[in-house]
Formats: sequence, C-alpha cells, structure tokens
Amino acid sequence: MTAFWSSFAGGFLGTLVMTTMMRGAAELGLTRMDLAFLLGTSVTDNRRKAKALGYLFHFVLGVGFAILYGALFTIIGWSSWWLGALIGAAQALFTATVLVNVLLPVVHPRMATPDTAANDIALIEPPGFLMLNYGRNSFLITLLAHVAYGAIVGAVVRI
Amino acid sequence: MRCDRYAAIEDYAAIGDGRTVALVSREGAIDWLCLPNIDSPSVFAAILDRDRGGTFVLQPSIPFESSRRYVADTNVLETTFTTSRGSVRVTDALLLPDDHLEPMRELARAIDGVSGTVPLGCRFEPRFNYGAAAPQWTSRHGVPVAAWEAEALALSMWNAGAPQIAGDALTSQFEVREGERAMITMSTAYAEPLILPSRDGVELRLRRTIDFWRDWVSAHTYDGRWSDMVHRSALALKLMIFAPSGASAAAPTTSLPEDVGGQRNWDYRFCWIRDSNFAIDALLQIGCYDEAHSLFWWFMHATALTEPKLHVLYRLDGGLGRGEYDLPLTGYKDSRPVRVGNSAVEQTQLDIYGALFETAWLYSEGHHTIDRDTGRVLARIADYVCTIWRCPDSGIWEVRNGPFHFTHSKAMCWAALDRAVRLAERGEVPARHIDRWRREAAEITRFIEERCWSDRCRSYSRVAGSDDVDASLLMLPTIRYDANPARVVTTIDAIDRELREGDFVYRYRADDGVPGGEGCFLNCSFWLVSALARTGRVDQAAALMERLVARANDVGLYAEEVDPSTGAFLGNFPQALVHLALIEAAVAVGSRQ
Repeated sequence: MTAFWSSFAGGFLGTLVMTTMMRGAAELGLTRMDLAFLLGTSVTDNRRKAKALGYLFHFVLGVGFAILYGALFTIIGWSSWWLGALIGAAQALFTATVLVNVLLPVVHPRMATPDTAANDIALIEPPGFLMLNYGRNSFLITLLAHVAYGAIVGAVVRI
Repeated sequence: MRCDRYAAIEDYAAIGDGRTVALVSREGAIDWLCLPNIDSPSVFAAILDRDRGGTFVLQPSIPFESSRRYVADTNVLETTFTTSRGSVRVTDALLLPDDHLEPMRELARAIDGVSGTVPLGCRFEPRFNYGAAAPQWTSRHGVPVAAWEAEALALSMWNAGAPQIAGDALTSQFEVREGERAMITMSTAYAEPLILPSRDGVELRLRRTIDFWRDWVSAHTYDGRWSDMVHRSALALKLMIFAPSGASAAAPTTSLPEDVGGQRNWDYRFCWIRDSNFAIDALLQIGCYDEAHSLFWWFMHATALTEPKLHVLYRLDGGLGRGEYDLPLTGYKDSRPVRVGNSAVEQTQLDIYGALFETAWLYSEGHHTIDRDTGRVLARIADYVCTIWRCPDSGIWEVRNGPFHFTHSKAMCWAALDRAVRLAERGEVPARHIDRWRREAAEITRFIEERCWSDRCRSYSRVAGSDDVDASLLMLPTIRYDANPARVVTTIDAIDRELREGDFVYRYRADDGVPGGEGCFLNCSFWLVSALARTGRVDQAAALMERLVARANDVGLYAEEVDPSTGAFLGNFPQALVHLALIEAAVAVGSRQ
C-alpha cells in the first residue's frame, strides 16, 4: 500500500509541476501546446469547459501513470529520481511522436489530421511530428515537463 | 490558341479538395499544383516556367475549340473540346476522401465521348520541388509511377491508351467514341506508400465529390440578386480554406505578376490576419457558420504565440511565415523573380489589430460566446493598441518605402478600440481598462480629423499631412467610422473621381517603393460598391455591381487585379480577397434594396 499511496502522491505533485511548467511556457509565448485544452476539447467545444475538464483528465492521467511507474519500480525492486526522469523522458517521446501526433487525431472528434479535406471541418489543427505545429519549442517543453514529472514521481515513490 | 506559350490568367479555372488547388487551363493543361498542400512545393508549375515547371496536358490531338463550366454548384470542372471529328467532355476534379482506403491526394480526369470519335493526347510531365527535380520513373503492377525523394505520383489509366515514357514525360494517345468513357487518375503520396485506386473507387469518389459540393452550396442561406456569383465566390473561398487547420489562404498561387514582365510577384499562400476578418464576415453572411467557427479558432490559436503583438500573416499550419527567397524559374511571361515566402511578415501593419477585433465582434455577433481566456487575450491586445497606434506602419498595401502614418491604419486602430469597448460592455472582454480604450479611441479620432483630412481633395488623405487619396478608405463605412459622416461621403467621391478608371479602381497613385506599375485591384472596385451602398447610393452601387460581376472569367473567378485597358487578369489567381469583397458588396447592396 505504501507504494500505491506514495505513487498517488507523487503523481499528483508531479502532474501539478508538469502542468504548471507547460502552462507557464504557453503564457511566456514559447508554445501553443495546451494538453489540457487538447484533452478537454475531445468531449466539448466549449473552450472554458474544455480547459477545466482537460485539467481534470490530465490529473487523472498523471496519477494513473505514476501508479504504473510505482508498479514498475516495485517489479525492478528500486527507484530513484533519475530513473523516474528517464522514464518521463521516454514518456515525452511517446507522447510527442505517437500519442498526441498519431493517436489523438484519430480519436479526437474536433481535431484535424493532415488528410482532413473540404468535406470535413475541424476546429483544432493537428499537432504534427513532435508537436512542431504548435511552435518549435513544443517538444523541448514537453520533454522538460515530463522529465520533471518523472523525477518527482521517482523521488516520492516508496517501495 | 495559346498566346506566346503562356495561357492568359483568366483562361484558368481552379479545382481543389480543401488541402491543395490545381489550375486547369482552357486547353486542358494542369499548369499549377502543389503537393501535398497548397503551400508545399509544386509538381506542376508550367504557369511559372513553361519549359521547366511541369504540366499535365489532356486535349484533342487535332485542332479544337473549347468551352467550359463548373458542374453546377461544385468545384468540379467540365471542359468540352469540339473538333472536326466530334467532341468530348473532360471532367476534372480533386477528389474528396471517404471512409475507405484512398490515395493521400487524388486528381481525376474523366473523358466522355459526346459525339463522333475524337483522338486525344495526354502528356504527364511532373517536375518536383518547383521544377528543380525530374521524376524517376518506375512501374507498380503496370501503373507508371513518378517519384522523387519522399514524393510519388501514380498515373492510373482506363481506356486511355498505352503510356509511353519519353525523357521526363509520360505520353499516351487514344481515341474516345461517342458514349465511351475513359478515366485518368493521378494518385499521390508523400512520406507514405502509394495507394493505387480501382476504377470503381475513383468513379464512386467522383460522384460523392460532386454530391458533397452540391450539398455544401445548398446549405447556404444567401438568396439575393447575385446568388450565382455569391455561391461561386463561396465555392472559390472554400477551395482556399486549408481544411487541416481551418486557415484561409489569400490565393493558391505564387508570383503571378501584377505587372507582366515586372517584379511585383508575391507568394500569397499564407493566411493574412485582415483577410481572416473579411472571411469570417463573409462566411457568416452566407451561412457558413462552421467554417467561420473553425477559422476563428485557428485565428486565436495561431496568434497565441505572439500576442499581444500580432504578425501580419501566418503559415497555413499556424506557424510564423518564412522569409522570402527566389526560385530559378523564368516566371509567368518572364515576370521575375518567382518568390516563395513573403517578407511582409516582417512589416508592422497596424490595421490588423482592427481586423482582429472586428473578427471577434462579428464572431460574438454570430451568437458565439468568447471564452474567458480569449477575452483576456483580447484585453491585452487592446492595451497594446493603445501604446502603438501613434507609430507609423507599412499599411494595408504593405508598401516597401514606409513606414508612414496611414489614415486607414489609424482608423483600424480606432475600430480595434471601439470593438474592444463594445465587447467589454457586453461582458465578453474584461472591462478593467475600458476607460483607457475609450480615451485612446477618441484620441485616434482627433488625429484622423485634424491631421488626415485634405481640404484640397475634400477627402481623408492616404497618409497624415498628404493630399493623396487611397482606396483603402472605402472601408470607412464598413468599419462604421462615423466621426464625420459628411467627410466619409466626400472621401468616397474623391476616390471615385481620382482613382477610378472605367469600372475599376486603383489602390493609389503614389510611389510605394516597388518598381513598375500595376493594374486595378478588383477588391477596391467591390469596396466602392459597398461604400456607395452604405452611404445611400444604392442604385449607383447596383449598376456598378452588375458590370463588375460581368468581368469575372468564364467560370466566375477573379484574379487579384485587372488591366483596365484590356480587361486581362493580373496577379495571383483566384484571389480570396476579391471574392470576399464581392460577397460583402452583394450583401451590402442587397440588404438596402
């Protein structure tokens, strides 16, 4: 149970830091990437509701992933902040190349794909490879935010 | 038929699929197509270099006459070739995808025998990367494939002869008899495997493409006096809306010259902030609510990186525009340079802030709520306008010898703050600085009335302190600048008197820092129609509108400019701003008759 609850706590804290970093980067004009917005608009086209729901989804996902991290640490028998950071970097790579770039446009009802044509109207442009459509710094910021998330989870989890 | 090896610009028609646009000449030549997107490098660019650009010609191999039209209420083109041995009808379309496995982009050319037996020739000569790279030819299951790096084009032919590869071109000769139907399809791929379509699949998608366009037009609400031209303009605009992002390109071409043989050749495959404003206005007026909604979302997303400062133009994917560079092409009728990219991106143009707020206002008027975050962004931009409106800029016409204190730019800054106040009063934008916005709007009005009025011309002047007039001031009634209505009326009269030639209106007569002359900007003519209608001269406006709609080409399209002495089209084609201005003018006149 210690691993579970410490993963839960680490996930919550890590997601808080990650979300703040990404939101802060957007406010500084470094990227147009907004994961909460992307997640939230999958269920509503009301921008305000989308962001609120998106933050909720993001926290649920963040805690869920932290529990997976905790399970992985338990299996291999040790944990550390740098191992968490490494897994976070891998997760960022997966997020930017597969999850957001390939999978999200397929399931997101309001996101375009590069093949969207005149007979379809999308509200959100596709992120593109490494999310570069949202600004050239998007991947770097995503990577740093996920590394921070992973490091926090790795540091907090007790097995 | 073809004069000095280049077709006239008005001899082209446009087909598209919401991702890219092809120009088809009256003679059956596809002389412009970029793949996979509107702003990608070209595979056919013979319109910019007859020898090196690449083309896809399908026409009778004996002398012919041609006539054409769009299939009613669609962006599918029908060209009928009449020869001494009979006639055929060629249907050209960029096919829309359905829910099945189909090529990334797909160009269909269906040939129907109408009478007799007509010999035809097909010449498929792609040149990749703006004419720089010849294709490598291979064959897949008997289908010829032209490839270069990550791009590939497959030419599937049914009842259209046996293809022969000679040099860089593929050719085919065949005959079509009355009642027969042949089909040629170019399927394309970029960074993914080619999909080779079946004939049944192509025929099905062609039918569905026609059905989609008809359904789209039938959903429009406009039913006024010039409904045919308004619908054609809407269809042309829809071609220029880049569906993967919702952004609207100013035109699908680059470097069609404003002055044949001259240097005024620009790349218009970008989304200009001010054009977005006009587009949202026009789309809402004709009932294209979804497109307007999508464009506004793109608009707010694209500007998020740079706000409160806005760039003049953005790439269609929302990124910042590239700088300019020249291509080693001869240019349309030796009009060099052929440019890619647009350095106007580096200019300061204050009118775009007015365009942004007008867009937000129209969006709000269209019963869409502006969310809290967007409202906060708009408030920051309004504050920014308060700090920059006193600066000179390059103006709506993007002059390259500025900056100046353009009256139009000041008026648009006034419009920005006026709309900000209205939005704040409605609760859509935080009202904390509303008094400052009111105060600065009044200051702008004072600047315009004191420094931008010419007693000699009895007109607002082009720039503060001058006696030149400028067609951009025809927009004053549209943005509801009402500090002195009598002055607005006499300004319209002065523009009519000094810039009009026949039915057409020049932008200005002053030097703009670019060598060479230019034609009359067609949007200015339609702006004159709107301005006349909005100032109560509706009959005069309607008469001018009648004459202007008659100056479209045979399929209802306009280029950016026209040579007033010959009626020849100049500049990029088809041009969104002209079609937007046509819709606005039709609505302005129609709503007052």
